[in-house]
Amino acid sequence: MNPIRVAIAVARKDLRSEWRTRELVPALAQFIILALLIANFGFQINSNDAPSIVPGVLWFALVFAGLVAFGRTFAAEREQASLEAMLMTPASPIAIFAGKAVAATTLLIACEAVMLPALSLFFGTDIGFDTILAVFLATIGMAALGCLFAALVARVRARELMLPLLTLPLWIPFIIAGGMAVQTALGLPGSYDEAIGLLIDFDILFIVLTSLAARFVLDE
Amino acid sequence: MSVIVGNGLTQWYGHDMALDSVDLVVDGGEHMAVLGDNGAGKTTLLRVLATALRPTSGVLEIAGLNAFREKRRLRHYLGYVGHNLGLYPALTAAENLEFFCDLQGVSRSRVDAALEAVGLRPQSYRRADALSRGMQQRLAIARAILHEPRLLILDEPDASLGADAADLLTELMHGRTVVLATHDHALANRLCPRTLTLRHGRSHGTATRLHIVK
Repeated sequence: MNPIRVAIAVARKDLRSEWRTRELVPALAQFIILALLIANFGFQINSNDAPSIVPGVLWFALVFAGLVAFGRTFAAEREQASLEAMLMTPASPIAIFAGKAVAATTLLIACEAVMLPALSLFFGTDIGFDTILAVFLATIGMAALGCLFAALVARVRARELMLPLLTLPLWIPFIIAGGMAVQTALGLPGSYDEAIGLLIDFDILFIVLTSLAARFVLDE
Repeated sequence: MSVIVGNGLTQWYGHDMALDSVDLVVDGGEHMAVLGDNGAGKTTLLRVLATALRPTSGVLEIAGLNAFREKRRLRHYLGYVGHNLGLYPALTAAENLEFFCDLQGVSRSRVDAALEAVGLRPQSYRRADALSRGMQQRLAIARAILHEPRLLILDEPDASLGADAADLLTELMHGRTVVLATHDHALANRLCPRTLTLRHGRSHGTATRLHIVK
């Protein structure tokens, strides 16, 4: 059985369900806009402060939106008992995990497509390709980790609490490297290339680790 | 030849014993009903037989394979309808089955035949959440037979099915080895020549149809 075909089928199924129900993306987009609005009023940012504060605001909004997005990916499957139906097929759990992660990443990227223009609008910063690339690379690794822990906690009762407790510490490398990359992209001193290199390294490392762990998390 | 051989199947949930050293043998082509009150351990036993649950202890062989070590290979061989239907509410009946064709590695052309077999062909373009409970049950059964399994494990398949449940199940069970759990003794008697009764997780032996009638 072709694992790529399985992963595509799982991702397509998740995206089609979201397209029909519109449960997650509109709510997350609203959450992100509200978070940016609150930060805008709370910090009273002027154009000189923006490059040092905006990356922090961006990562805060992204981290909490990500927790909700990744938490829902497996929680919904558990609630409707469909995860067991998927796992009762000969399909590889790694391929199923990959499909879920791809769908969750796509949904979060859709939210980022709202967040980045809103960030530019509220804080008067110029969001260019460099910033978009940094956010995209961080999203990939964060999605791999977020989905793994979402699968792990989906069967426990206090999953809303457990997911951030497990996930946030391991997202810190992405927030540090992503923060550095966005700060330099906004004009602060630092090495953009070094930060992007780190993000790529973290992506590769965590994608490999989560793929290896996914089999045990989903199968047992 | 025996398709299912289980020895000492025991399942603990914390301090509660759901299955207490259950032994069973099911021959190829045989239909066996598992009977028992609520909480007797029927669902746990069927989940173990379907390889969805690894028991605390015991040995299970299905089609000559160790069911816990070779469970992925066995998934081609068995179809399972659980208590929870596990359907995707936003997808249509046909889309639900097409998705599982991709996961089973079988052609999507089987979808129409599976829907036809459970009498859901006219509803193929309706979303699963717009189907009645009985139709959802039929859809879950259609999913279980998509890959044409030789062994069917059915947990209360008659729930919400309606008056023609027995006819539908008779047709689907034909030529397959089947273990089904039900509360309906009359249905069990009609569909299955042999029954296994569970009480508090313990097997109270098997009976043939003749014994039940008596």
